[in-house]
Amino acid sequence: MTEYLKITIDGHEIQVQKGITVLEAARTNGIEIPTLCHDKRVEVYGACGLCVVEANGSPKLLRACATKVSEGMSILTNTPRVISSRKCALNLLLSDHVGDCKAPCSLACPAGTDCQGYVGLVANGEYKEAVKLIKQKLPLPASIGRICPHPCETACRRQLVEEPIAIAQIKSFVGDIELLDENKYIPEILADSGKKIAVIGGGPGGLTAAYFLRLKGHSVKIYDMMPQMGGMLRYGIPEYRLPKDVLDKEIAVIRDLGIELINDFKIGINASLEDLKKQNDAVIVAIGAWKSSKMRVKGEDLRGVIGGIDFLRETVLGNPPNIGNRVAVCGGGNTAMDACRTAVRLGAKEVTIIYRRTRDEMPAAAIEIDEAEEEGVVFKFLTNPEEIYGKDGKVTGMKLQIMELGEPDSSGRRKPVPVEGAFERIDLDTVIMAIGQQVVPEGLEGLELTKWQTIIADEMTFRTSAEGIFAVGDATNKGADIAISAIGEAHKAAGVIDGYLNGENTPYKKPFFVEKTVKTEDFTDRERKPRAIMPGLTPLQRKHNFKEITFGFSEEVAKSEASRCLECGCNDFFECKLIQLAHEYDVNPAIFDGIKRKKHVEISHPFIEQNAEKCVLCGLCVRVCDEMMGITALGLVDRGFETVVSPEFCVPLAQTNCISCGQCVALCPTGALRERTQGVKSVPVEETVTRTTCPGCAVGCQIDLCSIGNTLVRALPAGESGLLCAEGRFGYGSVQSKDRIVNPMLKQNGKLISAGFNETLQAFTENINKIISRFGSGAIGIAISESLTIEEAYLAFKFAENILQTKDIFTFGINKKRIVNSLGNSKTDDIFTKMFGSAFHQGINSYGLREMLSIQQRDDISKYKALIVFGDELPAEMPVFEFLAVIGTTIAGNASDADVFFPASTFAETNGTFFSSPGKVLQVKKAIHSKTVMENWQLIQKFAESAGDNSFNFNSVELINNELLKL
Amino acid sequence: MKIAVGQGSCGTAAGAGKVFSLLENAINENGFDTELSITGCIGMCFLEPIVDIYTDDGNLKRLVKISEKDVPAIIEYIQTRDINKIINLEVSPEDNEFLLKQTRIALRHCGIINPEKIEDYLADEGYMALKKALTMSPEAVIEEIKSSGLAGRGGAGFPTWFKWDAARKSQGDVKYLICNADEGDPGAFMDRAVIESDPHNLIEGMLIGAYAIGAKNAVVYVRAEYPLAISRLNKAINRAKQSGFLGQNIFGTDFCCEFTIKAGAGAFVCGEETALIESLEDHRGMPRLKPPFPAQSGFWHKPSNINNVETFANVPWIMINGGPAFASMGTEDSKGTKVFALTGKIKRGGLVEIPMGKTLRDVIFDIGGGIRDNKKFKGVQMGGPSGGCIPAELVDTIIDYKKLNATGAIMGSGGMVVMDESTCMVSMAKFFLDFTAKESCGKCIHCRIGTKRLLEILDRICSGKGKQGDIELLEDLCNEIKNGSLCGLGQTAPNPVLSTIRYFRDEYEAHINDCKCPAADCTELLTFEIDTEKCTGCTLCKRNCPVNAISGEVKKAHIINSDICIKCGKCKQVCRFNAVRVF
Repeated sequence: MTEYLKITIDGHEIQVQKGITVLEAARTNGIEIPTLCHDKRVEVYGACGLCVVEANGSPKLLRACATKVSEGMSILTNTPRVISSRKCALNLLLSDHVGDCKAPCSLACPAGTDCQGYVGLVANGEYKEAVKLIKQKLPLPASIGRICPHPCETACRRQLVEEPIAIAQIKSFVGDIELLDENKYIPEILADSGKKIAVIGGGPGGLTAAYFLRLKGHSVKIYDMMPQMGGMLRYGIPEYRLPKDVLDKEIAVIRDLGIELINDFKIGINASLEDLKKQNDAVIVAIGAWKSSKMRVKGEDLRGVIGGIDFLRETVLGNPPNIGNRVAVCGGGNTAMDACRTAVRLGAKEVTIIYRRTRDEMPAAAIEIDEAEEEGVVFKFLTNPEEIYGKDGKVTGMKLQIMELGEPDSSGRRKPVPVEGAFERIDLDTVIMAIGQQVVPEGLEGLELTKWQTIIADEMTFRTSAEGIFAVGDATNKGADIAISAIGEAHKAAGVIDGYLNGENTPYKKPFFVEKTVKTEDFTDRERKPRAIMPGLTPLQRKHNFKEITFGFSEEVAKSEASRCLECGCNDFFECKLIQLAHEYDVNPAIFDGIKRKKHVEISHPFIEQNAEKCVLCGLCVRVCDEMMGITALGLVDRGFETVVSPEFCVPLAQTNCISCGQCVALCPTGALRERTQGVKSVPVEETVTRTTCPGCAVGCQIDLCSIGNTLVRALPAGESGLLCAEGRFGYGSVQSKDRIVNPMLKQNGKLISAGFNETLQAFTENINKIISRFGSGAIGIAISESLTIEEAYLAFKFAENILQTKDIFTFGINKKRIVNSLGNSKTDDIFTKMFGSAFHQGINSYGLREMLSIQQRDDISKYKALIVFGDELPAEMPVFEFLAVIGTTIAGNASDADVFFPASTFAETNGTFFSSPGKVLQVKKAIHSKTVMENWQLIQKFAESAGDNSFNFNSVELINNELLKL
Repeated sequence: MKIAVGQGSCGTAAGAGKVFSLLENAINENGFDTELSITGCIGMCFLEPIVDIYTDDGNLKRLVKISEKDVPAIIEYIQTRDINKIINLEVSPEDNEFLLKQTRIALRHCGIINPEKIEDYLADEGYMALKKALTMSPEAVIEEIKSSGLAGRGGAGFPTWFKWDAARKSQGDVKYLICNADEGDPGAFMDRAVIESDPHNLIEGMLIGAYAIGAKNAVVYVRAEYPLAISRLNKAINRAKQSGFLGQNIFGTDFCCEFTIKAGAGAFVCGEETALIESLEDHRGMPRLKPPFPAQSGFWHKPSNINNVETFANVPWIMINGGPAFASMGTEDSKGTKVFALTGKIKRGGLVEIPMGKTLRDVIFDIGGGIRDNKKFKGVQMGGPSGGCIPAELVDTIIDYKKLNATGAIMGSGGMVVMDESTCMVSMAKFFLDFTAKESCGKCIHCRIGTKRLLEILDRICSGKGKQGDIELLEDLCNEIKNGSLCGLGQTAPNPVLSTIRYFRDEYEAHINDCKCPAADCTELLTFEIDTEKCTGCTLCKRNCPVNAISGEVKKAHIINSDICIKCGKCKQVCRFNAVRVF
């Protein structure tokens, strides 16, 4: 009889079973106590010390995992002492944790866009998923991808191999695909909150803030002073870099979420800030910086002197200023480049850049400088405007002071100093001043400003000096910056404002991430693969018009460029317990900064990758391998700080008696042990989980297929105490293997070659008819794999009966060779047989096929003239048939003798059931869309239809199952 | 006449083996009627090699620091019995105080009997305690031990009878008695001396323990670095077995007990009883969670009792003389005697056994003769790396478990490292921490990484890169490590740091705030300067400086360029006028 005790946890009196631990007692009562080293599958170990609690009567901290409950015990799980101990443990662990929680590209992005994630998704062809991922942070991928100066690429480690990944261009690639897609990704919008928000300014910051606040269910209006939305993206960036129709389409998607766009609205004129505040629950100011900075040189007020952004804006508005033939653009930033190249396109004959430093110091993107030069722009380096000459109030020329570079200044750049007495004079019609932008805070009276006339906004709460009014972007604090910075602030501010509207005050907090430093030497083993070159117009083709100068990547180039990604960010980020706890406990490992263990990454194993630098020495892998599996492939080596998990004598894991069960990986709380993704690039983004049944053998293990979009990334044992063999754990790789055939094939001149579906189907039907007419109905045998679903098998059976007029349908039995091979160790066969019993030697459906459809195994197939095989399991020895049709996934072994080959769908791509040992009905669930044209059940219906039988009219697998059950 | 040459590891290391063979050859060649034997550690390790001559009239002539060149004089003495031949070799009366002021129970045979001859042991009531115990009920034996007040001498000071009683009362047919001889503290050699010098005493003590708890198997877990101890223990076990003192039906009773020796591979943490058990079971030496305690589930998950060597070494004496006789020594809290390994900057270092209740002053000044080279006494590290440092002002602290704990140090297994004014206390804490950090088994985060971080902080303090707040950081981390570690190693590893901060905080502050090491011990913080008054301009320092940091003309005062100086100390070493100042 079970005995019960009364204990108190955090003041709640609860009744618990005698003999359980404090940890179990807490968990069964919904109280979470953290642990990194405990798992119920293995013995209590007590290493991590995170589960410590205080108990009455004990001066020591107790490890909840190892302390049994006793009558009257009073446990406190969250005292300051407990929290301090846990925090200390986490700080210590993290002080020795080497890796990158997030990739440097993503960390460098002011908006925190998951660059590695979407680049990886593009490499895997998951464009929709990539767009979804980008849009978690930024609603304008096609636009930003084109114009962003990409701090991500500056941080990209691929440049330590050769050149950074073209991250921005990959972003615009998927952004463009999305714009062409009729089925656009619309994120979920939460139910109407009843709150109203006014966004002042429809530039990148305002649009982003509106987007994310709308998703939270708030009612949002954007007020903008210009005729159209887009702000500087529209009026500051020339058409040739960002076509307006791209911007329009992206803004339309935002508008369609239900955001009201109000243009030609000037704050302070059409309505006061006060009015907007009264009408709304919150106001966010994102007005940008729209005034060109002055140079304070004589002659600046002459006609023909124009501000850079004013020049660009007027050009977009269709009133380009009359600039004449000789134009000088002062400045070295991107606006200067946009201005000089626009001047070229407006027909100026001589366009000169006046810049007081040299090319190396220019803040503009290198590609912009190169392209401007190609378009004929002349660069006058080390010159500074001294005076603008004019006649009749109109510019005629400029006096330039010749400069030289002196000592580095606070920015690290060498400071330009005038060369005494050295001047130059140039004749000009127009001077464009592109040296900076200023905020025009008109209509915002009441908001406190900085001495530069920017709005003071708290960097973590985005609050201005006025209650309920927030501000982001170029208009705030330090002034103008790149678009993605405004977007990043707007996204963060949206989160803060949402909290504000719910009565919370949670400032944005930069999350803690482990970051690692690397050197060029760390990448010497990488194959060099140059960065893809963006195709575009030649200088001659582009300099006289505003056509977009780049063409965008082709799919092939984009995928191959994306596949260059080094995958810096940790693949276990979303399931890493350490980072979850680090965030929960607000860690600060910097206090313990010191030496970190330097260990190599062990990659000898085909399925398991071990990265000891991320190991927390919880010992779960060592213990599960020993205690649960009885293998002992892993152990602890060395002592003290140098202790490391390793096979004995530090031999590679692949050389141990590891059976690839993956249990060590399953229990590892961090990314120290992980599955090597099979067949695709691994991408650390959140996965979709589909629970289905492993088709490997009659054990019928339940597995969780993890997918991202249409890509399988992992297969895990279902449930906490699940156990899989290597076939179940890693066999999913065959679904997306390079060898998978996804198109029909026909034999021509003795060789199988790709063919159209109808052509192949026709050949199939004709041959079958021919054989039947020549040799009679019994001449065609039909063999099916034991791992077809029972529904697929039933259709094959029905096809045999109806069309071939035979009940001669059989199997070749389980192809055990594949399972054993995938384990890579001959001994393991015995281990799994011991573990799973004799079912391990039978096909998943062998019982079902036998009992429900009377399908038996057969060896002798020599009596047939023709054979149709569903599945990849062909016998090694086969007679020569008049006709052989194979419906399989690869052309391996005897499948190459086939006269027609149809690509088969796999268990991961279809719904259905397996009928395993007596009474065991196991569900097969579709995790991804079939890589083939159709699923197997649809294919067989096509066969029937082609043969003139229209009785196969099932619309779904369920209907097949219904008919089957009636038998 | 009988001659005994001290051949513990201390004597052997000092050259006793050579002395012994020279004496042996001479005696054999000359056919002297002199019995030559070995004995274990006499305890006066600072005087090794020691040759004890028992004259025919029963007097002891103790000859000390004997080298090969002294052997002819001894031979002459044997020949002539002329005391003048060896009078210069005899131990001085002061040095002799070292032993005279001790009270020896655990060490009562050490340096007296021949550890390789059971007869010697039998001559002094050997195995009589066992015989007596076997006439008593196990409960009565435990009662006797209880009345003695004997507590675990391995460090924790847990009452021995209680552990025995718990193991006795534990359910199960198979029980184990284990002797922990994994003496790992740097500077500790008490257990080694007992095994090397009096192995039968240990065996007898263990047999009594095994009888008391009902164990038929006894295991000695001894570190592999003690080969001499292992070999003598092996011999002793064989002899005892031949003599019927262990094995089947001991003394004709039903009591049977077999012995095995397990040589540990040198992990300090294996001195922790559960880690020791893991190691015995051929696993990696890592502590187990307690409970269950070994008394309930220990070796092979059977009830087991583990005691330290010294604890067992007291047991035969207690059985013969009675518990109350043992309890009559010591303080209310701590009974009997305790053995200390006295080392460091002490005049007379070696093995000291004294009754509890004496003061540190008694040990360090009376027995140990005070500080070497007439330097100032600064403190004493008690209990090895797990212990703490007691400052000079607390030298009158009474030696018992409670009083020592109150100082922040511990009794420990008996390591007593004496420090003088030239020892930097931060470096000292660093030394011990370096040891524990390397010896951490790696299981607990706090211990594995925490001790490493402590060490790094101490390192930067010693190299003048300490930061404001480092002392507080050290204290916080020390307390977290103590709280968060599973076994004694981690729980006590911060003690040297905490106790030195407690008593020598100013030294830490001087390192951090002023980049100075008050003890002039931390090289990186030293300044070398030439006293222009004293310097004669002999140029010797200049010529010896390996980095040409010294300049100066002949017969004029020299100067050290501190930017170039690498603080090697060569100048100070060679200066004949004591003109180089270090501060």
